[in-house]
Amino acid sequence: MTPPLYIAIRFLVHRKRALLLSLAGVVFGVAIFIGTQAQTQGFAKYFIDSTLGSNGALVVRSRFRPHSTLLVPPKNSKGQAAHRSYFEGIDDASAIMRVSRQFSNVVSCSPVLHGTLSARAGFENATVDLFGIDPALHLQTTDLSHQIVEGSFEDFRNNPNSVILGSKLASTLDVTAGETVQLLPPGGEYRRLLVTAVARSGVGSIDQSRIYSHARVAQTLLHKPYTTSMIIYKLHDPQGAQELARHFETLFQHDAQSWQEREGGTLQLFMTLRVSAAITVSLIILLAGFGIFNVLTMTVLSKVKEIAILRSMGYRRIDISAIFLWQGAMIAVAGSIIGCIFGALVTWGISHIPIHIRGLLYANHFLVTWDWRHYMWATLLAVVAVTLASYVPARRAAQLPPVETLRGSSV
Amino acid sequence: MNSQVCLSCHEVERYLGEDESRVHALRGVSLQLEPGSVHAVVGPSGCGKSTLLYILGLLDSPDAGSVSIESQLMTNLSDNELARRRNELIGFIFQFHFLMEDFSAQENVMIPMRKLGRWTEQEMLDRAGALLEAVDLADKRRRPSRHLSGGEQQRVAIARALANDPTVILADEPTGNLDTMNSERAFELLKNLVHRGGKALLLVTHNPAIAEACDWIHEMKDGLIINSHSRARCETGTGQN
Repeated sequence: MTPPLYIAIRFLVHRKRALLLSLAGVVFGVAIFIGTQAQTQGFAKYFIDSTLGSNGALVVRSRFRPHSTLLVPPKNSKGQAAHRSYFEGIDDASAIMRVSRQFSNVVSCSPVLHGTLSARAGFENATVDLFGIDPALHLQTTDLSHQIVEGSFEDFRNNPNSVILGSKLASTLDVTAGETVQLLPPGGEYRRLLVTAVARSGVGSIDQSRIYSHARVAQTLLHKPYTTSMIIYKLHDPQGAQELARHFETLFQHDAQSWQEREGGTLQLFMTLRVSAAITVSLIILLAGFGIFNVLTMTVLSKVKEIAILRSMGYRRIDISAIFLWQGAMIAVAGSIIGCIFGALVTWGISHIPIHIRGLLYANHFLVTWDWRHYMWATLLAVVAVTLASYVPARRAAQLPPVETLRGSSV
Repeated sequence: MNSQVCLSCHEVERYLGEDESRVHALRGVSLQLEPGSVHAVVGPSGCGKSTLLYILGLLDSPDAGSVSIESQLMTNLSDNELARRRNELIGFIFQFHFLMEDFSAQENVMIPMRKLGRWTEQEMLDRAGALLEAVDLADKRRRPSRHLSGGEQQRVAIARALANDPTVILADEPTGNLDTMNSERAFELLKNLVHRGGKALLLVTHNPAIAEACDWIHEMKDGLIINSHSRARCETGTGQN
């Protein structure tokens, strides 16, 4: 143990009240940082997991129309994307899926025939998003089987004339598994289908309007000349969806949209909330830093004679600085460790707070995420704040001229 | 320069303060300390005694002149190098002892040793124990320094000054804060340790009895040593200034 560290420990433990005050600031700052980040990111992560589990990480849709070869490009032409137009549907979905499965990031893909129609059950009506799917492929690509809250996916798979309803839609239509629902395509006739299951994705907009049927039933209902209007993908690394989407657009000449692009608005909202919470908590840690600055400054002032005598005994300026920097470092380390433990407890406590959310998300209690990076950032922030807070008093202590102090105490 | 001299200064000058308050505190002071000798610096307040002590102790730098310890010139050394020499070669004793009050007597004595880094923890403990025994405080080695009496605290300060086996001990009014009995006891202890250890002791004092008991007395006035005389030889003007 170096002499400055030894002296720093002694100084610290003999000023218990100041030590506890400084420590409390860091502990609370770190714990609140972890708690708020876990909570704000918890909702965001739940939303992302839910939307990925229902709509996939990447969607390939309509085919691009070839560009018209104008001799003179129109004024204000900024790029191809602004003037891009499409053919509806996917012509050769099997070929696209076969090629895209060769990509290492692709786990699986599922063709979907999508359309809008009306649903009726008893006296209740609703406009619904029909997803015509291949049950086996859709099962591999989405979390639909895990989202079933009533009925069974197997019943749906085995019965072509059956559907799965979103939970809020089922509630709106007042139907349960085992009952029937009538679907009305534009300009067509009602077709009665058996509700074999009710699914809850957790995302309000999906649960409010989603209805799954077998692809052939959907094609009949929607009167589409093609069997696939989009292909949804499950990826090993969803963060790579944007890059893969650009690649697929070039390769397949179809519109490809990543989940980040699709959910951009909501993700931005979550990010804003998270940054806002981080700023607030950073200010708390900064305040803790000011507290430590005050405590260490007072320590320096109260130890002026000790500093002078240490200098007379051969301790260098850097040793004197180190004594006060060590004190800050010990507060930062101890405060961070205790703060991380306390933060984990806070996070656990928050996750057990009951809350009734039925809008954007479906939740019965606060959603949290356990991420080691929250602990790392909280610790880093605390260490930086405390180091900055210790630096000025440490520097001041080192600059104290010992002769002035000794002379002031002599007769 | 005499090879037996363990500390010397030559024509040391020092100004204190700025502008109108600038004072010529030392006006060319020369001094030599031999091993085993005890020197007293006496004079009225403000004559430059403490300033001289801090310069000899490498805590302050002279504006002119030089300081040598063990024939090595200390002028122009870096701050870190001066700190190292202070730690190795000099022991300080102050009027108000300046013990670290959060530390025990033993720990106070060990503080200079820790910086020196010459001994193991056990060796430091043994050495601190021996030094405290020498100042008759062996039974109070673990007592916090703030729980010791004034005389005991000053004896701990003496033990601490001797911790690194320094060449020179510099004392600024070491008995100024003690009653007569403790004052005499502390001084005798210090003198014996210096004589036995072959060290040099320079002390600043206002106490005539203590000054008379020293081997050399240097009288200062207005930043100059105006008279130096040996108690044993009753010499005056020995060329030390």
